[in-house]
Amino acid sequence: MRPATRFPALQQLVGMTVALVLLLSACGGNTPPATEGPAAQPGDEFAGLQLTVPAPYDPPIEMHSVITVDATVKFLGENDSNNNVWTRAYAQLLGIQLTYDWAVDPSMYGQKLGLAINSGDIPDMFVVRSDEFLLYQEAGLLADLSGVYAEEASEKTRDVLTQDPVALKAATIGGSLYGIPLTDAAVATASVLWVRQDWMDALGISAPVSMDDVLEISRRFTEEDPDGDGMADTIGLCLSKSLMGASSNVSGFMNGYHAYPGIWFERDGGLVYGSVQPEMRAALLALQEMYASGQIDPEFGVKDVNAVNETIAQGKCGMEYGVWWNPYFPLNLSQQNDPTAFWSAFAIPSVDSTIARSQYSTAIGAFLVVRNGYEHPEALIRMVNFWTDNLVGSQDEAVRNTFLGNIEAPDVVLYKYTPVVLWEPNAAIEAGNALRDALASRDPSGLDLEAQWRYRIIQAYYEQGILEAWVEVATNGPNGASAILMEILEDRGLMNRFYGPPTPTMAITMPTLQSMEAETIIRVIMGEPISLFDQFVSDWFEMGGTEIVDEVNQWAVQNP
Amino acid sequence: MKKKVEKQPVMHTTHLPLILLGVAMSLYGLITALVWSVSSRQAMRGLITAGQQRARLAAFEDMGGLIAGIVFLVLFVWCAVASRRGPRAAFIVGALASFGPILTGRADGLLFDTLGLRLPAGSVIASALATIVFALPMVIFFIILTSSRRVPRGCRWLAFGSIFLVLATAFFPIVVTVFAFLVKPGDPGVGRMMEVGALVVKLRYILPGLSLLGLAALSLQFKKKQIPVGAQTKTQEGGTK
Repeated sequence: MRPATRFPALQQLVGMTVALVLLLSACGGNTPPATEGPAAQPGDEFAGLQLTVPAPYDPPIEMHSVITVDATVKFLGENDSNNNVWTRAYAQLLGIQLTYDWAVDPSMYGQKLGLAINSGDIPDMFVVRSDEFLLYQEAGLLADLSGVYAEEASEKTRDVLTQDPVALKAATIGGSLYGIPLTDAAVATASVLWVRQDWMDALGISAPVSMDDVLEISRRFTEEDPDGDGMADTIGLCLSKSLMGASSNVSGFMNGYHAYPGIWFERDGGLVYGSVQPEMRAALLALQEMYASGQIDPEFGVKDVNAVNETIAQGKCGMEYGVWWNPYFPLNLSQQNDPTAFWSAFAIPSVDSTIARSQYSTAIGAFLVVRNGYEHPEALIRMVNFWTDNLVGSQDEAVRNTFLGNIEAPDVVLYKYTPVVLWEPNAAIEAGNALRDALASRDPSGLDLEAQWRYRIIQAYYEQGILEAWVEVATNGPNGASAILMEILEDRGLMNRFYGPPTPTMAITMPTLQSMEAETIIRVIMGEPISLFDQFVSDWFEMGGTEIVDEVNQWAVQNP
Repeated sequence: MKKKVEKQPVMHTTHLPLILLGVAMSLYGLITALVWSVSSRQAMRGLITAGQQRARLAAFEDMGGLIAGIVFLVLFVWCAVASRRGPRAAFIVGALASFGPILTGRADGLLFDTLGLRLPAGSVIASALATIVFALPMVIFFIILTSSRRVPRGCRWLAFGSIFLVLATAFFPIVVTVFAFLVKPGDPGVGRMMEVGALVVKLRYILPGLSLLGLAALSLQFKKKQIPVGAQTKTQEGGTK
């Protein structure tokens, strides 16, 4: 017998070794496909891209617009605001010669637009903030888009615009559509409860299901040294003086007591303002007790969100109420001082057997509008269709690289060159669901490129123990925060019922009332008697609140 | 003129410790891969939380790593005792690799609690430390065997190949992770490499263990071939005397 055949296992081993080396070599050389920035030759730029576009205008039409350009907007080569991939696409693919008459920093936009309109220099298409939308419509400056929307809007455009139930309502005045709402994720502004999971594990605490659990966890985080440094330097709940922000807010905590500060909701057949409802008292008293026992930062009344983020970064904070994406910021900061830091999201626990609902508001902050009298109002709908049909949810790497930007130049964000950018309101929920399905089946093949990347990151956490990947696990992993968004959308959320422009009395008195409200909440939490809140409620109605409630309810009748 | 060196099996007295070491290392690698695989599968399905998964893995790595490390150390020492010259030196260096599994579950605590270091990508660095503690002695072990002229040719070639195997399984996942989190986050090409990295990391102990078994097999084969020649030589020497 030949010696070689006496060791088949050895032969297999050598074969496997060679195969592995070859495999690793192949992987090492697997560089991403080369991509280019916007090409200089307009004729070739969009060749080969799979795009959904209508027949272009022939002859091309002209459209004048205006745009914001902030410090993050960068142009490659000879590109500028009037000559970039988007203006060229509109011209070549849609037959719309778009010219931006001016470009300013976002902070100057409203003022510059007002000046331009007052001087009679009204752009053909422009973005208007929601608080100015009604003003411009009443002045007769805006074109009625109802007809062109009905005729031209694509299926995907309609889908995006109806995912937020109030998006089109907010753009409709007197039954006519006067703008295209710039959609974003409304439910994404709802709060969830974020808790340091590693601290819970260290103390043997199970998931919170009631407000009693939340209070107990807060107490133990404060008293039982969860970070194990031998010092009493941790606090149970982080709050910032801004009270209603995206992180460390007080509204999420209050939702657990069925109190909904700062929003309008239906009660007894009408709309009421949450901040002056009786449920606020119990929530304030609970916070007052937590503050008195050191579970809330003694300086929270003067700490803005940046200062609170410092506390989080130092690893001193055990819980906070904030939006689903908080792990991306500021909770990621906690890993600076503790590589094992891990925050878990929980649906807001309730004080009783009634499900607590997370409050949120529509994300519609601005509208795309067309000048009344412009000959081609349908051109805006075509531009919107171009965005939704080709970019929203796109898995086409070439199209995304061409119109959004690519990894080779991550600081050049191409979609900032156009104001026609609509985000899919339920994208986070749908993406999260798809990702969780892929994780459960361990098959990422059906995911788009971005989701595939997230899949790999989550996989790295679970299969290789890369703790830095916790951010993705906590947001989009199994039991991640985006799963809670679905519950909020179904039956655990309460949307601000008032989405209109400020009412007349609101415009005058609300700023004063809001600062009074914030001051009262902070003072009560810091130990002043609860009668201060009762006085605030009384003052609120006396100082214009009664009129505001009437006006809001009149608006509600007109906007069912 | 090049001096001819007489080849000797890797092990002088018995090959048992080398076989046991190979089996132990492969088995530990296999069990580690299985534990990670099962727990990650459960966690990715949402059957257990990330915290529960980490707790299970930490418990396994603390105890399993300690036991494996001690077993490796004992077997390396036995191998050193049962070998001569180059192989003995190799086993003495290789014994340092025993601290790799012991450190795996303790690197985080050592770096960040005991030493108080504060670094970005801390877990990657902790993982790299544990990997280096295992991989570096193993690489030197195989280099010494490769360069030992008394070791049979087949064993030397296998040791030579094993150097790259150890390096690849140890550092490919780390390099990919660094690229994924620090250098090119979001790059689809890196994403595909991460998938391979997740598979390669499971081979970290299995492949070196199989290499040791291969060495034992080749060395035994050589020894069996050597016996008749040796016996003949002895007879001839006896006849001359």
